[in-house]
Amino acid sequence: MGKTSRVYKEEELVTQLKAKNRDALSYLYDHYSAALNGVVMRILKNEDLAEEILQDVFLKIWNRIGSYDPGKGRLFTWMLNLARNQAIDKTRSKEMSKGKKTDDIGNLVGSVDKENASEMFVDSIGLKEVLEKLPNDQKFVVEYLYFKGYTQSELAEEYNIPLGTIKTRLRMAMITLRSLMNIN
Amino acid sequence: MNIKEYISSGILEAYVLDELPSGERAEVEKNLAMYPQLRVELVLIEKTLEGLMQQASIAPRAQLKNNILSSIEEPKQGKVISINKVSSVWRWAAAASVAFAITASYLAFDYRDKWISATIALNTLIDSNQQIAQDYDKVNQRLDKIQGDFSIIENTAFSRIVLKGTENSPTALASVYWNASSQEVFLSIQRLKEISSDNQFQLWALVEGKPVDMGVFDSGFDGLRKMKTIANPGAFAITIEPRGGKPNPTLETLQVIGNVAKG
Repeated sequence: MGKTSRVYKEEELVTQLKAKNRDALSYLYDHYSAALNGVVMRILKNEDLAEEILQDVFLKIWNRIGSYDPGKGRLFTWMLNLARNQAIDKTRSKEMSKGKKTDDIGNLVGSVDKENASEMFVDSIGLKEVLEKLPNDQKFVVEYLYFKGYTQSELAEEYNIPLGTIKTRLRMAMITLRSLMNIN
Repeated sequence: MNIKEYISSGILEAYVLDELPSGERAEVEKNLAMYPQLRVELVLIEKTLEGLMQQASIAPRAQLKNNILSSIEEPKQGKVISINKVSSVWRWAAAASVAFAITASYLAFDYRDKWISATIALNTLIDSNQQIAQDYDKVNQRLDKIQGDFSIIENTAFSRIVLKGTENSPTALASVYWNASSQEVFLSIQRLKEISSDNQFQLWALVEGKPVDMGVFDSGFDGLRKMKTIANPGAFAITIEPRGGKPNPTLETLQVIGNVAKG
């Protein structure tokens, strides 16, 4: 199936998804699958598992769009949390051992299937560049929370950092990233 | 409520991460509805996050999209029938349809397999077809060249001058075809010795005893090679010169020479 040609505004996209318009799902896939896959893939470090999760996530988006409430956050945030939570659940399942969580970001980048190696390389340069600009403690929380599949409380417990500190560090990181990416 | 303090606690980030206990989450949602400033901040956090994730993109394998789109169900109407109330006839029917579904899936799988091998075979055929077309093209070009060469050799307007080996290279032999009216010159090599790649052969015409450069060439071409034009050559000669040629011939390396018959 080719790329969808029309452009949806978020509001319209949600309406169309709720009306079970397949074209809207196709659009959603074209624009967000790579971003969601980036998170899932880094957490799971396995292309087959990531694909399984991603397929599941899109089915959930399709089936549960009725319960999505724009008043509570943007569509992307909702999808990202579906993907992140699902991937984190997977790491806790029998198929994966928790020992895998301790790789550093460099290994994460290198551990993905060779098939995607070149693409991966290009992509990660962008990510690495952005992350490298963060002070170490901010980079740490972003990496662990978003790309290594830790929850805030897991991170607090495992590294003996007060939960409140983790929250404020993530806050600082988001402010730094905001200005790095010129978001306003 | 001190909104600045509230925001700087990082509670909105935790909310965006979907990691607040339900009580706290409900509170954030209530506050979001009450304070537009909070809403603005939330959107900024979400957009930042989306920006970061787009940077971190990894494209999934291409076929995944089709898998997803084909696995979503069309919206269904109708009620669910409780299994307990279904009669045994319906159970048999259900079992039969399951069996049918399994058979159909197997067949679909099998046909997909066959379809894939057919696609591969087709691609191989397309490739070899292209190869044949390219070969045919090459043969055609070569034929054109031979026909062109032949028409020159055959043409009586061209005189053939045989260049014979000098004492430097007694077995060397080459021919020049020269057209007195069009002044065109074509060269054909019968036998010239191997030379290092630093050097090239250079063809000369002698006009009233003075050498005129007719162009350089490497040996190993087939048929005729077009050289520079010349009006009144008395003789043609070939020397070995450094690659690119020289303005004047090095007589010590003279390979072949032949006089143009005066007619």
